[in-house]
Amino acid sequence: MSLTRRRRAFALLGGWSVLLGVGAACGEEERREAERANPTTAVFADFARRVNDYAALRRRLTDSIGELDPTRSQAEIAARATALGTAIIAARPRAKPGDIFTPEVAAVLATLIREEHRRRSEPVQETRDDQQEEVPDFTPQVNALYPTSYPLATFPPTLLPLLPPLPEALEYRMVGDYLILRDVEANLVVDLMPGALPAGGGSS
Amino acid sequence: MTRPLRIVLALAAALWPAALAAQDVRLPVWPGSVRFLVLGDGGTGERAQHEVAAQMARYRQRFPFTFALMLGDNIYGRERPQDFAKKFERPYKALLDAQVRFHAALGNHDDPNQRYYKPYNLGGKRYRTFKEGHVRFYVIDSNYLDPEQVRWLESELKSSDSDWKIAYFHHPLYTTAWRGPEVELRAVLEPLFVKYGVDVVFAGHEHVYERFKPQRGIHHFTVGGAAKLRRGDTRRGPLTAATFDTDRSFLLVEVVEDYMYFQAISRTGAVVDEGVIARRREGREAARALPAPAPAAAAPR
Repeated sequence: MSLTRRRRAFALLGGWSVLLGVGAACGEEERREAERANPTTAVFADFARRVNDYAALRRRLTDSIGELDPTRSQAEIAARATALGTAIIAARPRAKPGDIFTPEVAAVLATLIREEHRRRSEPVQETRDDQQEEVPDFTPQVNALYPTSYPLATFPPTLLPLLPPLPEALEYRMVGDYLILRDVEANLVVDLMPGALPAGGGSS
Repeated sequence: MTRPLRIVLALAAALWPAALAAQDVRLPVWPGSVRFLVLGDGGTGERAQHEVAAQMARYRQRFPFTFALMLGDNIYGRERPQDFAKKFERPYKALLDAQVRFHAALGNHDDPNQRYYKPYNLGGKRYRTFKEGHVRFYVIDSNYLDPEQVRWLESELKSSDSDWKIAYFHHPLYTTAWRGPEVELRAVLEPLFVKYGVDVVFAGHEHVYERFKPQRGIHHFTVGGAAKLRRGDTRRGPLTAATFDTDRSFLLVEVVEDYMYFQAISRTGAVVDEGVIARRREGREAARALPAPAPAAAAPR
């Protein structure tokens, strides 16, 4: 890794750490100061706001549809997932790629993910490629369901802690070289980011 | 010899080995012991799943286990209501009718909404813990091991005073099968398992049966052949204790005080592996004194 890249990676990670710490412990003024000092902090703060907006919208929809309790009826589970997905799509009819993974967020995340992949050993990268191989080739789309008959690629557990945390309703997943933001219960692609990984996965 | 008699004798000869094997229980069946079934990668709805399930039910007549651990890939392909009937409720009807409780983990083919399916006993959670007798089980979602789950796991492991700690999830930390061990998961989970004295780990994902020599004091089993099979997919290596990859399989387990007895069974009812594991009597500190981790199980490719 070149010195410049290494500095950039450390800056990104440092920025995220600052955001986490500041967000939790300090007041609004300190947060603004941190954002001024590190642009990455501001980018992630914007990401967090967009994620929180989605979560708030989803809470309102869930309140009207109702929570799901464990049930013996798979039909009930499927109906609730469909109802939630339909309501979310209706509430975000013009949702498009980049609404949450804004270009600024995408640039930071892509760098972060690529740097992390470069640090990983060959066996780790092979494992990640194997996990992707089980996912059929398809192009994810915002406001579309993740195909229910397709497996989900396991998300690299050592990469997850480096990404901004998400509320329980959302998760990151990889589909080919896309990073997607998936609504877990609605099985819905909320946003996506192409080019998150080098072509062919992590071992290139 | 008359023709009907010949037919009867031929049928008896054909069925005898299976019938004999089906009664080949070598576990102690001790009163009050913790007895359970372990199965992985079962949800195809195809003939092999039904045959394996029938064998489980036959064994249960001699070894009355009360619950089952499902190691993920509980439902392959589409997950419509009729798929749950075809790939779970019908194959395991005999066990469900006998009130066997299934405790599922999620695999990479499983919709996370399976956590709301009551017969899987996930209680709406992707990961959870439960206790049977003096054994504490940790159900982990290895598809999405986020920091919150890792924090939860450490907290639960730390606070447990159970004699036995058994973790199970979908992706194997050790395997010789083609996809190879999940080295990233191992990097996160194994230090916790060692630190807090996990005794046994069950995983699926690879469609074979494997048992490994203890790694950092922990016994690892791959039990991923309850319906699918990757014939000839294991390789005996320095870490291997036992393998079976020529037919489908499942595992029966009995925990009696400080000993865990196990018996791996094939689709035809043959015993393909068996043994007993002693719990670490010197407490959890013993694990910390073990030598450095062994190299990864023979890597594929």
